Amino acid sequence: MTKAFRLIDLVKTFPGFQLGPLGLELEPGAVLGYVGPNASGKTTTFHCMAGITRPSSGTIEIFGRQAGPHDAAWKLDLGYVGDIHAFYENWTAEANLAFRSKFYPNWSQDRARELAKRFDLPLGAKAKNLSTGNRVKLSLVAALAHSPRLLLLDEPTSGLDPVVRREVLDTLFEVLESGERAIFYATHILTDISRLADRLAFLKAGKLAQVVAKDDLLAKWRRISFRYAGSLPELDSSVACDTEAGSHRLISSDHDRTLARLQAIGAEGIEVTRMTIDDIAVEILKGGNYVATR
Amino acid sequence: MLLNLTDLSDEPLQSQISRQIRAKILAGDLAAGEALPSIRALARDTRVSVITVQRGYEDLEREGLIHSRRGKGFFVSELGSDTKARMARDRLTGRMEPIVRAALAEGLASDEILAAAKAIVTSQSEARRIDAGQDDDNQGAQL
Repeated sequence: MTKAFRLIDLVKTFPGFQLGPLGLELEPGAVLGYVGPNASGKTTTFHCMAGITRPSSGTIEIFGRQAGPHDAAWKLDLGYVGDIHAFYENWTAEANLAFRSKFYPNWSQDRARELAKRFDLPLGAKAKNLSTGNRVKLSLVAALAHSPRLLLLDEPTSGLDPVVRREVLDTLFEVLESGERAIFYATHILTDISRLADRLAFLKAGKLAQVVAKDDLLAKWRRISFRYAGSLPELDSSVACDTEAGSHRLISSDHDRTLARLQAIGAEGIEVTRMTIDDIAVEILKGGNYVATR
Repeated sequence: MLLNLTDLSDEPLQSQISRQIRAKILAGDLAAGEALPSIRALARDTRVSVITVQRGYEDLEREGLIHSRRGKGFFVSELGSDTKARMARDRLTGRMEPIVRAALAEGLASDEILAAAKAIVTSQSEARRIDAGQDDDNQGAQL
């Protein structure tokens, strides 16, 4: 099956920063969450994929077509919402959309109007008079109106109120239903994609720390507290541990293994609680001595 | 199909999905041979990822409650009454295990645990007899 995208040894260097080498791919019908702190390289990855900046080396394929400067066909499959919302400031939102429509054979004016209505975007207002939130909405409409097969979304809900945010997420669930489209979604707030994403890629200082099925993280990571009098031996899959007078509290990236070990050494009063996806992400990005789960 | 999923529960979404569909099947709300919603449609309706729904369906498939037909999706399987009874037994054992283990750890003897279980069964069948006596007229409507 053709992948929605493939990054092969993608590298982009700036003075003092290197993204990659990245190897990452996404199948149609799926959502990949891209998680990392500020300045970890998420936006740079998107800029390379959307053709805004040229990679230093490596290959990008979008639905089997190689991205490159000589042929722009691969861009027709892309919808990109990024950090820069470039519009003609003296034109209305509607005129900006009409201008965009000329580049995309698949553009649907009905779809653009329907989305504008759902997101409550004032189409008659000039771009320069749009609020931050309304500029994000205009970008979203512009990215979705040609029904692209791959959506690259870089913090698309920042600046949106909760009602519109929900409308946007609902739209994304609908986009996915055919099984032919894919979404690559960068955020540092996981709550937005905690239900949407199938897999999560964690990016830390330009390098992938982990790529994992979201449900596996939720199933395996636990906070575990227990009592143990002696000095604590090395424990399997233990990420971080607090100790206070014979009581211990640790975070486990694989609680079955940790619990088996705790029972073997005779720990008492064991309590296990689940962790939210945000808590887990923080631990992964802090980068303890976890055992990578695949 | 209406499911009621929440992020506020300790139960993973995947298990919430499989538990709620299992209950519909065992209660007869979903008949044998009936088609389940496609994985993608259910993911969209319940606002969860495709993989989560897929794993919920796989749990049910492993239990023999549903089966897939290539290219056609998932269907409710034909269940004999002995299969249903076995499932009910398995689930009872699973739920009782931590309770019995805790009771043993607190020093109760096995006949005390059995007596407690028996007392619950007795009080329930007592209650059911009273209910049945009162509700004879309404039974048709309830079904």
